[in-house]
Amino acid sequence: MAVSTFKRGLRLPTRKDATEGKPVELAPLPKQVVIPINQHFGAPNKCLVNVGDHVKRGQKIADAAAPGPMTVPVHASINGVVKKIEPRTQSNNTEGICVLIEAEGADSGGEEFLPPLDPFSCTKEEALARIREAGIIGMGGAGFPCHIKLNPPPNKPIDTIIADGAECEPYLTTDEAVLTEKPNLLILGLTIVMKITGVKKAIIGMEDNKAKLIPMIEREIRLNEQAASVGEISIGLCRTRYPQGGEKLLITALTGREVPSGGLPMDAGCIVQNVGTLVAIAEAFSLGKPLVDRDLTVSGGACKTPKNIRAPIGTLLPDLPPVFMEIAYDKLSKILYGGPMMGNAVPNLNIPIQKNTSGIILMTAAETVAELEGPCIRCGRCIRNCPIRLSPVIMNMALEAGDLDEAVTAGLMDCIECGSCTFMCPARIKLVQRFRVGKGRLRIRQQARQAAQATAKPAPAKT
Amino acid sequence: MAQTESLSHELFLSSSPHIASKVPATALMRNVLIALAPVTIFGVISFGLPALLNILVSIVSAVAAESLFRYITKQDIRAKDQSAIVSGLLLALVLPPTTPLWMTALGAIFAVVVAKEFFGGLGANVFNPALIGRAFLLMSFPAAVTTWARPLGFGTALSDAVSGATPLGILKLGDSAAAGIQAVGADFAANKLASSADYWATMRTLFIGNHGGCTGETSILLILAGAVFLLVKKTIDWRAPVTMIGSAFILSLVLGMDPLFSVLSGGLIFGAVFMATDYVSAPLTAKGKLIFGCGAGIIAVLIRKFGNYPEGVSYAILIMNAAAPFLNRLLPKKYGTVPKTKGAAK
Repeated sequence: MAVSTFKRGLRLPTRKDATEGKPVELAPLPKQVVIPINQHFGAPNKCLVNVGDHVKRGQKIADAAAPGPMTVPVHASINGVVKKIEPRTQSNNTEGICVLIEAEGADSGGEEFLPPLDPFSCTKEEALARIREAGIIGMGGAGFPCHIKLNPPPNKPIDTIIADGAECEPYLTTDEAVLTEKPNLLILGLTIVMKITGVKKAIIGMEDNKAKLIPMIEREIRLNEQAASVGEISIGLCRTRYPQGGEKLLITALTGREVPSGGLPMDAGCIVQNVGTLVAIAEAFSLGKPLVDRDLTVSGGACKTPKNIRAPIGTLLPDLPPVFMEIAYDKLSKILYGGPMMGNAVPNLNIPIQKNTSGIILMTAAETVAELEGPCIRCGRCIRNCPIRLSPVIMNMALEAGDLDEAVTAGLMDCIECGSCTFMCPARIKLVQRFRVGKGRLRIRQQARQAAQATAKPAPAKT
Repeated sequence: MAQTESLSHELFLSSSPHIASKVPATALMRNVLIALAPVTIFGVISFGLPALLNILVSIVSAVAAESLFRYITKQDIRAKDQSAIVSGLLLALVLPPTTPLWMTALGAIFAVVVAKEFFGGLGANVFNPALIGRAFLLMSFPAAVTTWARPLGFGTALSDAVSGATPLGILKLGDSAAAGIQAVGADFAANKLASSADYWATMRTLFIGNHGGCTGETSILLILAGAVFLLVKKTIDWRAPVTMIGSAFILSLVLGMDPLFSVLSGGLIFGAVFMATDYVSAPLTAKGKLIFGCGAGIIAVLIRKFGNYPEGVSYAILIMNAAAPFLNRLLPKKYGTVPKTKGAAK
């Protein structure tokens, strides 16, 4: 099979050995969960439960505060009693309202799932409503509402659906586990998406370090009854390279197209869905199950029991029994939610697993970087390795000089924050961090300008 | 709330990414030093004790000057980043081995303090410090810095014939004496450069490096060995050196000079490999590097052909250093850049 790729990018140490090929283990029922009521990118939710309420697994506990498309409900992930509703630190290090549910024994009263729905006989609107009701967001990390992605405006014709199984971040292995353990659900999810969007072509994109899974996935494609009727599903093998899993670069690797600057995948005729999201879609129809569990990798040098786990959303790692999850607190130096290239470092372990938590990496000091920044020696490695051909060093110099326009010219607003430049920087300059700050400054400037225009007197009519 | 065991130490919090490549800045400096080792050793063997003393004095002066300057101006002393060592060594290698030691020390101090620290230290200088040091000495003490010793011990025809001049220097004299540049072999014969007047033997000598010249510039073979090492280690980019040597070759051909002689003699290849690839003073972008190298090659040949100096490489690179901030505006085409015609619809 031909191996496709994009130019530049990095060959990273994969560090996947600890959990590679391990089955996804079902986490023991935690005694409590802490569920943030806003877990998506978009408009905020309103809490639907009160302290003291009994809730069932699958019951909606938060939904749109105001009607609007960019919102996704949140569900209780265990049966229990609402003990607290209070702001807590979430995995992106911001405070957000969380619902603390204390468990009521293992089997108290079953679940409150939606009725199963046949995706191939229902209407497109019903299908999209089901995906929204099931609380599905992109599980790759950004948390974009899934039903929005599947309903592009009519002026953006889509011809390719891409299942993102590249998993280019070091340590993480849950996408691989999905490809290994649940190819049937993945194919089902993919056919549902093809049915909803009417797109005839789908590609399962994965890196060539997972090439041994191809025959099994191809067999699953043949076994799926609907697959042939909705279109053609193929496998696209990509060279193992970071950031292959970034949707823009996966599109480029698999189709040769580039997403226009400032655009979305739909501007290149593609919809990209993480393989975990597709499984969640399949379960939302076949089981009526909302997104209440999450597969994630728990790994890193300070994790004595590295494994792929499936845990209810809202689980806190320290609540898991030591036989299942043992943490070397004496060696623990950094806690990451997400992968080491794009994930967040958090201050403690009392932060819940969210819908978009692809992994929790417990790093030792030796695994991470703790070197101080040195002066930029202008070696240009950041330029040479930027997968989207920006000029990070020039952006950084412009930002230091306070020249936002120059930074934009060099690519500030195009930066996908993949961290390739910072990884390669021999002076250990935190380039990506500077660019995030720079983007913030640019937004503030734009808002200030808009405000100034709004308050300014209307310009005299041109004669 | 979940009980986290109390940690005896603090956790790190920082922005992503949380891992980094194993190549710190000092490793890059070390690679340059390793690449310079063969020419340095060859220089010491060829020119003996004066060359060795020059190298040591230059490095020590550069490091001491940097540290002292940073101490006086109350900045962190960062001799261990090795950049001053590189500057000092490079300066010694582009000076004649017979340069008086006090001049070398002065040049090194000028290079590090005026050309680097006055601009803000490592990473902030506009011009290549070693070349500024050399240019400073060339201006101040032209006689001392353009008098070359012949190599010791290696009794080849070429080195026997050369007495206190380089192939380029002699060619410059021949150039003004003769009506025009003839075949270089003939020129050599006329100037008693090569007693056997064998063109290819001359070129071989130039390539291997057994002739008068600056301490580190004579052996093209060892310079190229260093270049290969740096390219394999991905420490330098091929663009500037290749376009610099290429443009010098082609322009020499156009101007009726012997292109091979032009490339092999003097400091052209040394400059292309070790000076035009200087991170700080050369352009950052790929296109910028191509134009930088091209411009440096052209200016070097023009100075050699029409200027007063037999050697134009240092000034050529310094002049192009001044153009680097402008060349940095030649940015690569960003991912997803839509051609203007389509973008207008937005």
